[in-house]
Amino acid sequence: MALPALLLSAAAIAWPVDPATDAVLFEDHRAPIVTVVIELPAGSWSPWFVRHDVETAFTFQDDDAGRTIRKRIDASGVTLDLEVGRRSSSVTFTALRDDVEEAMAIVRTILANRDYDPRELTRARRERKILWRQTATDVGFQLSQTAARELFAEDDPRRRAWERPPDVERDRVALAAARDALFRLPRRLIGFAGDVRRADAERWTAELLPPAGGLPPDLAPALRPVRPASERARERDLPIRKLTQVYLAYVRDSIPWDDPMRPAFLVADHVLGGHFYSRLVVALRHEGGETYGAGTRDDGDVAAGIYRISTFTRAANASHIEEKMRETIRVFREGGISEEERAQAVSALSGRRAFADQSPVQLLARYRVERRAGLPAGALDAAIDRAAALPLSDVNAFIRDYYDPAAFSMLRAVPR
Amino acid sequence: MLEALLLTLSTTTLPNGLEVSVLSDPSMPVVATQLWYRVGAADETPGSRGLAHLFEHLMFGATSAYPKGEYSRFVTSAGGDDNAFTSADETVYVAAVPPAALAGVISREGDRMRNLTLDEAGLENEKKIVIEELRLRTENDPMSRLLVAAQRALLGDHPYALDASGSKEDVARASLASCRAFYDAHYRPNHAHLVVVGPVEPEGALALARDAFGAIPPGGVDPPEIPPLLDWTYPERIDLEEDIPPVEIALQGMPLPPADAEDAAAVELLRELLTGGSLDPFREIVVTRDRKALEAGIEWIGLKRGGGIIFYAASLPYRKRATALRSIDRALTSLDDLAWLSDSSLAAAKKRLRAEALDARYYAERMASRIGEARWHRGDPALALSWSDRLDEVTRDEVAAAWRRYVRDGRRVRAYVKPERVPLVIRMFGWLYPLFS
Repeated sequence: MALPALLLSAAAIAWPVDPATDAVLFEDHRAPIVTVVIELPAGSWSPWFVRHDVETAFTFQDDDAGRTIRKRIDASGVTLDLEVGRRSSSVTFTALRDDVEEAMAIVRTILANRDYDPRELTRARRERKILWRQTATDVGFQLSQTAARELFAEDDPRRRAWERPPDVERDRVALAAARDALFRLPRRLIGFAGDVRRADAERWTAELLPPAGGLPPDLAPALRPVRPASERARERDLPIRKLTQVYLAYVRDSIPWDDPMRPAFLVADHVLGGHFYSRLVVALRHEGGETYGAGTRDDGDVAAGIYRISTFTRAANASHIEEKMRETIRVFREGGISEEERAQAVSALSGRRAFADQSPVQLLARYRVERRAGLPAGALDAAIDRAAALPLSDVNAFIRDYYDPAAFSMLRAVPR
Repeated sequence: MLEALLLTLSTTTLPNGLEVSVLSDPSMPVVATQLWYRVGAADETPGSRGLAHLFEHLMFGATSAYPKGEYSRFVTSAGGDDNAFTSADETVYVAAVPPAALAGVISREGDRMRNLTLDEAGLENEKKIVIEELRLRTENDPMSRLLVAAQRALLGDHPYALDASGSKEDVARASLASCRAFYDAHYRPNHAHLVVVGPVEPEGALALARDAFGAIPPGGVDPPEIPPLLDWTYPERIDLEEDIPPVEIALQGMPLPPADAEDAAAVELLRELLTGGSLDPFREIVVTRDRKALEAGIEWIGLKRGGGIIFYAASLPYRKRATALRSIDRALTSLDDLAWLSDSSLAAAKKRLRAEALDARYYAERMASRIGEARWHRGDPALALSWSDRLDEVTRDEVAAAWRRYVRDGRRVRAYVKPERVPLVIRMFGWLYPLFS
């Protein structure tokens, strides 16, 4: 077992590139590949980002009219991805170790590109309008949209992913300016994962990004308070064409990652809907065959998001399964969980950590998630440690409070 | 290469016919197991469509040693995951756990290979669940409905024609006797391949497999050979209508050879060259150069006994069907110049595939999938590790030959998909779109 120890370094090596840019390296020499991520601190939740259509500026920046950049990417054997998230935007490339130098040169070319392809922008504008029509028959989309509208104020960015998108910006000068401004934002991160040593990483980061600029006043997401339960609809039906099933989503606001109640939530949620023999799956699938799927989902981060308890069944069985679902949650809330269930949940949550430690890219991803959320490194694992230390009474007290039916709205996608 | 020092793949066949492959990588923090049964949806007979998938569900029931759900509870408590999937060609039971739980997983897999206790109540429950799954996967999403209809119209009586989840009627008809017969015919060690990947000693893992499976006698029947897609007879054209956004989609498809064909590596590079880069050469012609579609691309389907390459172009619904189909013909003629196939583009495609293979080596589950598939689809589990080297040997001429054989000279099937509803504004003014784009 000595050899792997020489090849792996699970700890992050972090250093400042300049006052506005951090670098981090997860060194791993098991395979001669390298992943590099340049993460910029603005995404689709930022008012500034939306106002300037930075999403288009960022995602189309490798699409010059002559396709020279993409041809170069394809000739290099590098895979490159431009992704816009809620709180950040990132350039990610993966290359064989020997091709990283060329990949870095390609990134520099992309950052210098101002020749956005006007035909592609026009096509994308039309495509976006047509794809919007597709959402009318998308059950998941419709349920998420309604949940977000119930929970968040009209101008809250947490609704944006499920609202009609604005037109694609086609002013190429404006797009280039928006992209440049994004890359000049302070708090940039350049992350390395894989077969790379610090000396090389330092050399590659030098002068990769333009000098930092100022912070736009409306850069930070303007998150509003979650709507009080008393102002939300208790239930809503969403008619969708051609459905043969009814889809239920029992929703409320989620527990933020940095909330003191988060560890209790992790245990409770695991027992209620977090695995194949959770309370919900046993009641709705294994015992009665009412459904194929039942479970819970939380799409929040350090901000509350949508917490949903979901299932589905044939249309004629809808009211029956809804009754069973409500009853399962009622019993869960009133009776709490057992010590055996708590211990199994803690064991599962702790054991699952190993799955996020398999590759240097996973380690880098977790580092980025915590940094983006403003959490100290290791905070997500620490929440599991705190969950493991919680007495049963604390978990059950949380369950009684959080799973109050008065805090939930029942949304149903039903046949039109 | 350092990665070669870390990985040791050994494959052994037990006296009862069970193949056991162990990939030992001491640097992995988790261990994955996959049990590949050589029976899938394509092996079902008419009247029993969906039985392989239904049986996959039943395998999570009680055994003579454990109550229903014990396996999943054991895996979950360890922090792991277990699941299964049924495809056209195989049924695979997967688990990934921290290393300490490996012995428990292997012993439970061995137990349910022969000791499943099937009963009426359990069967009726799973039938209801499977029918709900079938509704979810094939009825309640427009694109799923479209794909299921296209698959049936295109493949007719071929065993690959039905979605693996089967038909509601056949699932509802399944009896305890038919399930027991299916179990006896296919869930045998000589029809299975166990893959273990992770920080394990090969001998130790093999000993666990011997303990769990060694006493199970061989038996069962071999499913009939599935006809290769390349030799099948297809309709010339199919027409479909669905509740999709207001676009019409023209498609042309050609069948591809089995996964173990002699030129499989060249075919894989053909796929990578056409679909793996940031530029899709077909889309560049149809959308960017000719401006004959709003979007276009290439879809690739790969199964054990063949696959398909599908070129599609989506337009607003004002273009004539014949014009839309001709635009694909013209693009394919343009691609015949093979400008997209140069020494440098081929080398780059090889690099991308090598990087993908190297990345998979970090993950126990992905490596287990690769080994299982290499054995069952290509005939040799070791190809999971050596496939990149095989790809490196492929020449430009071999890729060009694959293009000519399967695309240029391949049997073409045309399809056309229309939306069920088109807004009046698009019906009336959609034709103006090219003037302003």
